[in-house]
Amino acid sequence: MMIDILITLFAVIFSLVVVFSNRTVVSAFSLLLALLCIGGAYFQLGANFLSAVQVLVNAGAIAILFVFVMMLINLEHPVLNKDKNKFKLILGAFAILVSLGVLAIVINTNLESFSKDFLLDNSMKTLFGKLFEVYYLPFELATMLLLGAIVSVVVLTKQDKEPLE
Amino acid sequence: MLETLIEIIAKIVVILALPLGSLPLIIHVERRGAAFIQKRLGPNRVGPFGLLQPLADVAKFMFKEEVIPSHVKPFFFTAAPVIALTFAILPLACIPVTGPFQFMGREIFPEVFRSEMGIFFAFAASALGSYGILLAGWASNNKYSMLGALRACAQMVSYELSLSTALVAMVFLYGSNDIHQMVTAQSGYWFGFIPKWGFFVQPVAATLFLVGIFAESNRLPFDLAEGESEIVAGYHLEYSSMKFALFFMAEYIHMIGLSALFIILFFGGYSVLPGMDMLVDLIPGSLPIFQLISLVTKVALMIWFFVWVRWTLPRFRYDQLMNLGWQRLLPLGIVNLIVTVLFVYFRN
Amino acid sequence: MDFLPFIIFFIIANVVGIVLIVISNFLGQKKKLERKNDIYESGVNPVGSTTRQYDIKFYLTAILFLLFDVEIVFLLPWAMAYTDSTNKAFMIAGFVFFMLILLVGYFFVINSKALKWEE
Repeated sequence: MMIDILITLFAVIFSLVVVFSNRTVVSAFSLLLALLCIGGAYFQLGANFLSAVQVLVNAGAIAILFVFVMMLINLEHPVLNKDKNKFKLILGAFAILVSLGVLAIVINTNLESFSKDFLLDNSMKTLFGKLFEVYYLPFELATMLLLGAIVSVVVLTKQDKEPLE
Repeated sequence: MLETLIEIIAKIVVILALPLGSLPLIIHVERRGAAFIQKRLGPNRVGPFGLLQPLADVAKFMFKEEVIPSHVKPFFFTAAPVIALTFAILPLACIPVTGPFQFMGREIFPEVFRSEMGIFFAFAASALGSYGILLAGWASNNKYSMLGALRACAQMVSYELSLSTALVAMVFLYGSNDIHQMVTAQSGYWFGFIPKWGFFVQPVAATLFLVGIFAESNRLPFDLAEGESEIVAGYHLEYSSMKFALFFMAEYIHMIGLSALFIILFFGGYSVLPGMDMLVDLIPGSLPIFQLISLVTKVALMIWFFVWVRWTLPRFRYDQLMNLGWQRLLPLGIVNLIVTVLFVYFRN
Repeated sequence: MDFLPFIIFFIIANVVGIVLIVISNFLGQKKKLERKNDIYESGVNPVGSTTRQYDIKFYLTAILFLLFDVEIVFLLPWAMAYTDSTNKAFMIAGFVFFMLILLVGYFFVINSKALKWEE
């Protein structure tokens, strides 16, 4: 119970540092720490494989991308467009949080009607069994998505000195 | 509750003491081994056979002046070696040193962190290893450091893919990601004397993994990031004294962790060496000790192999290195996986 | 609560590093000399500014690593679920389809020479 609260607290603190920090690299590294805390939260909830994947992919690849960008551009103190009307900002943030909270409550009370399949226990074997018997289509569609991402990355960063074949 | 705590502390002490304690010995072996290969004497003045030399080195590192140049970013400059060391030690948490055994009526699994994700924890933790290097290169505010750090990171990241394809093939063959089950699947002998190690079942994946761990730990022939003759010392250019020593330690401990993974996947992990079966049968209840000795021996041989290769092979150029990773090893891993899967399917 | 060993281990790993640095800070001497603070460039005076343009291939490497890593992360549960699955032919068919798409993406990357480092 204590660990739950601590991990969530750290995740929230690091996320706030990401948003409000003045130095870009500090933001990038706080993003990494926030993602690690979320991985810990996944583990605490019993989703072991998901926490390993979170650390491996999210913290080990996506956060590296962010850190790379911050270091490659070497933009130390970005000049931000300070919004003069802070009241609008705070109200907007509050509204979004409240609607998210309401959505969470609605989903939690109606959870049974959302899922047609129940997992009997939380182990990886049952999860993977379900994944590859019932939910095969999303698995294959995800590869299509990845193919699209690969192609678009290569095309978008093509230098202009060679013609695209 | 108290018993669990004592158990945890004991396991942590053992798992940390083995690599950290053997670190001076490894450094000494590296220097003497390098000298032996290069036909000269290594350090042999301090103590018998120079064995106290690492101790002298540690003392030197501690008493040297901590220079923090004024152009670096102070917090990150000091934090980078600590982060590198932490993320190098982290994969060791899921590696068991012996098989499960009974002690005082409880079954003990000798790994610090036992979870369902098994060996994936080690791979997830070593994916984070590139951050220490990136942070060091950037915090040094020196364009050579930054370049070295970027190259090191890109190299580590490219070879992690080859490691992962080899891992998928082995997880497929063993059917699970639990380390104890992997070791059990490698027990037994063919023809009575060839052990059923993963290396003989999947030599291609083993070679892939071997090349991958050399690149992951930035060791020659892949150590362009800290290439001594090129960009001076790469990402740990501006570091001196204890911070440099911490990077050094992080590299060796990363090497130990990756060797342990390699041995678990391909050389039977803590299963006893071929000749030791008879000894185990003679002395009842000594199986964990012999397993520990086997694991330590295998890892030691692996570390000697690291040292041997370092002083034998020349360094790769950076474009050769990256082309090797993406153009040769990755398709090899994918094709190996496809062939393995189809072979297993059509055999049944 | 089965998180506890990991947390203790993590803290101890951090403490080892921090303790070593703190000890060295106390034991080493401190003399501020002007030359010690210069940027190190093999003994000559530093040339050029710290910011320079880096090749975009570094960034491409990182992104393509991410994409292929996600593909492998999809393969890991497949590899674990294969031995216990009931319909192995179905698993193999899905695997072959997955691999074909992965190989198409991979060959596109190789053909486009996006990752070809020349020197």
